[in-house]
Amino acid sequence: MPRAIRGVLIECDPAVKSIIVNIDSENHDYIIEDLDEQRCVVKETMVQQLKQKLNETLRHPHDNQEGSGSD
Amino acid sequence: VVDQIRLWQLENERMKTTSGFLFKDFDDAKEYEACAGYASEIGVCVWRNDRRAMFFASKHEQIRDFLKLRKKAD
Repeated sequence: MPRAIRGVLIECDPAVKSIIVNIDSENHDYIIEDLDEQRCVVKETMVQQLKQKLNETLRHPHDNQEGSGSD
Repeated sequence: VVDQIRLWQLENERMKTTSGFLFKDFDDAKEYEACAGYASEIGVCVWRNDRRAMFFASKHEQIRDFLKLRKKAD
C-alpha cells in the first residue's frame, strides 16, 4: 500500500533550492523528500520557519553566497 | 526597508509553495501508473516522477478512495 505524506511542495530555482538543502542539513528538520534540483517536499509546520531562515540567508549571505547581494 | 521588500519579493518570485500530499512506496509499477494516471486525470497531480514512482497531489481524498476500490477489485 502506498503512503500519502502530508507536506508542502516547494518549487524554486536551483540556487534557492541549494540554500534550503543547506538549512535542512543542520538538523534535517524541514525536508520530507528531496524531489529534484528545483523541488522538495517540506513539513507543513516548518514552512514559515524555513521562509524566515531563507530570508535571513538571502539578507546576510555569509556562506558561499558572498557578494551576490548587489545588483 | 527597500532592501527588505526587494528580498521578500525575490523570495516570493523564486519560490512557489503548494500544500498537499506526496504519494510514494507503491507496491509495483502498475499500481503507481494507475494511481498517478488517475491523479492527473482528475487534475490534482502537481508533480510526478515516473522513474522514482512518486507524485505530489494537491488533494488526497479521491486518490485514497481510488486505491481502496482498486484493492477491493483485486
